[in-house]
Amino acid sequence: MAYTMMQTPRGTEDFLPRDAERKRWVEETLRGLFWRWGYREIITPTMEFYDAVRAGDTTGLADNLYRFFEREGDILALRPDMTTPIARVVATRLQDSAKPLRLCYHANVFRYAEPQAGRRREFYQSGVELVGSGSHLADAEVIALTVESLKAVGLQGFRVDIGHVDYYDGILESSGLPPEERRSLRLALLKKDYVALEELTAACSLSRDDRELLLELPGLRGGREILAKAMERAANPISQGAIANLTAIYDALDAYGLTDWIQVDLGMIKDIEYYTGMVLEAYTADMGFTIGTGGRYDHLIQQFGYQCPATGFALGIERIMLALSRQHGWTAAPNVRVLCMGLAQQPQLAWDTAEQLRAKGFPVELDVSGSGEDEAVAYAAAQGFHWVVDPLTHHRARVWTQGGGWREQELSELTAALEGENGSG
Amino acid sequence: MDKTTSLTIAVPKGRLQKAVINLLEKAGVDCSELRDPSRRLIIPVPGTEWRFLLAKPADVPTYVEYGAADLGVVGKDILLESRKDVAELLDLGFGSCRLIVAVLESSGIEDIRDLDFNSRVATKFPKITTDFFTRQGIQAEVVHLNGSVELGPIVGLADAIVDITETGTTLVENGLVPIADIARVTSRLIANRVSYKVKNHTIAGLVRRLREVLEEGLD
Repeated sequence: MAYTMMQTPRGTEDFLPRDAERKRWVEETLRGLFWRWGYREIITPTMEFYDAVRAGDTTGLADNLYRFFEREGDILALRPDMTTPIARVVATRLQDSAKPLRLCYHANVFRYAEPQAGRRREFYQSGVELVGSGSHLADAEVIALTVESLKAVGLQGFRVDIGHVDYYDGILESSGLPPEERRSLRLALLKKDYVALEELTAACSLSRDDRELLLELPGLRGGREILAKAMERAANPISQGAIANLTAIYDALDAYGLTDWIQVDLGMIKDIEYYTGMVLEAYTADMGFTIGTGGRYDHLIQQFGYQCPATGFALGIERIMLALSRQHGWTAAPNVRVLCMGLAQQPQLAWDTAEQLRAKGFPVELDVSGSGEDEAVAYAAAQGFHWVVDPLTHHRARVWTQGGGWREQELSELTAALEGENGSG
Repeated sequence: MDKTTSLTIAVPKGRLQKAVINLLEKAGVDCSELRDPSRRLIIPVPGTEWRFLLAKPADVPTYVEYGAADLGVVGKDILLESRKDVAELLDLGFGSCRLIVAVLESSGIEDIRDLDFNSRVATKFPKITTDFFTRQGIQAEVVHLNGSVELGPIVGLADAIVDITETGTTLVENGLVPIADIARVTSRLIANRVSYKVKNHTIAGLVRRLREVLEEGLD
């Protein structure tokens, strides 16, 4: 595609101030929450060695890498997620730190995909990794924090589905099928191609029980009753272990009072290979694609030479923003903005007034173009300012508001009124 | 509208429309309004929170992938070509045809391996065709046409075609013979991946009823 000045590369986008502020607000909300849960931020390079980013996954992510030659001849790649770079850091620089480690990130990641249906080539993720614990309580914490994150940003009607890779892996492992057929079955489940699943199970030499269970997998969705049913149906120890693990996780979430937001989905298969245990997916009814994803990955860090279990999740920031827009969920409006006149006429007075208001936390623009009253009001209206202030003394000013026109008042009254508006915003 | 019991079903206009209505009615879905849509594109199912959306067949996977429709009916040929990320729930059996490679009978070619180096293949399905020839290890130039693909070999635009055929009549009339099968094509019921989670109860119920109808036989 030829360059025109209106375009950025396919699958990338500019965030203009309104969207940039919303994005920051979502990230700040999550950052505060992660911080209160003890997760500390980590920042890694945008580009990594190609061999590093494909350490844990040679199909799902690696197929869609942006990759290029460094001038020295090394092959580099743009990070397709943050989990792999963090695994690298944990195995190297943080190997000696006391575990468990709680790490979080807010970062852009890159995947070569057709830009449609919520997929972009550069997009933003916020997420956490709980490193160094294999306990079901670590998984429960990660799921609980997923729920709390979506609550914190004000999303309505969301659910977090939890599943376990060992449940279907156990069925396939114990089936005695050759690896090629197991791969085909897994792919059909991953793509949710249940027609192919039916054809494949009919063609493979599976036991009657295994065949029925595989066909039933997509329907194994619900609450605790599904776990009981799944345990009853699974004849192999790997699948049984998966359900025991998931039940322990579910019990913990029950104790935290979070099961209203949780669905068990044993038909959930992930396209990323590094998952080894619990997996999760978050979504809302308002959007046709998921807004968050995650799970346990106990062997990924080992790819960098250090055996260490870990679990985590990532949320898609643009997808959260889109869902909030759909739900008209931008209740936390940015601060009311103020334009302060008189800089050209009485620079010290205008400066001091602006500083007084800024000290109270309001964003204040000083009028550098020395415009008259009408121009200032026209500019304020066009820019969406809420207030125009024309200082008379250090304590008193003429004040214009959207819809209210001009009036004279004390600065102390003004700040009180501004605070009132922010509070109700 | 309850988000878990409402349902939007994308129905393809044209060839498959009648068969879809027939099947849904047998499964107990009121299609009276759908039988007589006049010019409406959104058609309610009386007494329910369900509705139909009438779409061009090639657009059905798009509506479903974005979640604008929860379910859709579409031919496997279009589904393969669209490469959309949707759940494929059920083989509905009707609209059955084959996706084939055909050449002019007069060419004497009987196997795709006998096609010349860098042969041209005309098709409405460029992605499927490219995939198929790549998998077979045959180099071919894919020429994208929007219809009347049979013309290609006759006027010298292409050496072969990839197209769907129901009975083979059109092929014979144009002096073409099939030399390879790519896939058997039938209509599929597809679902948006999130709808399949959120509305699982409603969707699973409909799928169960459709399955029963299909097992009894449509006619």
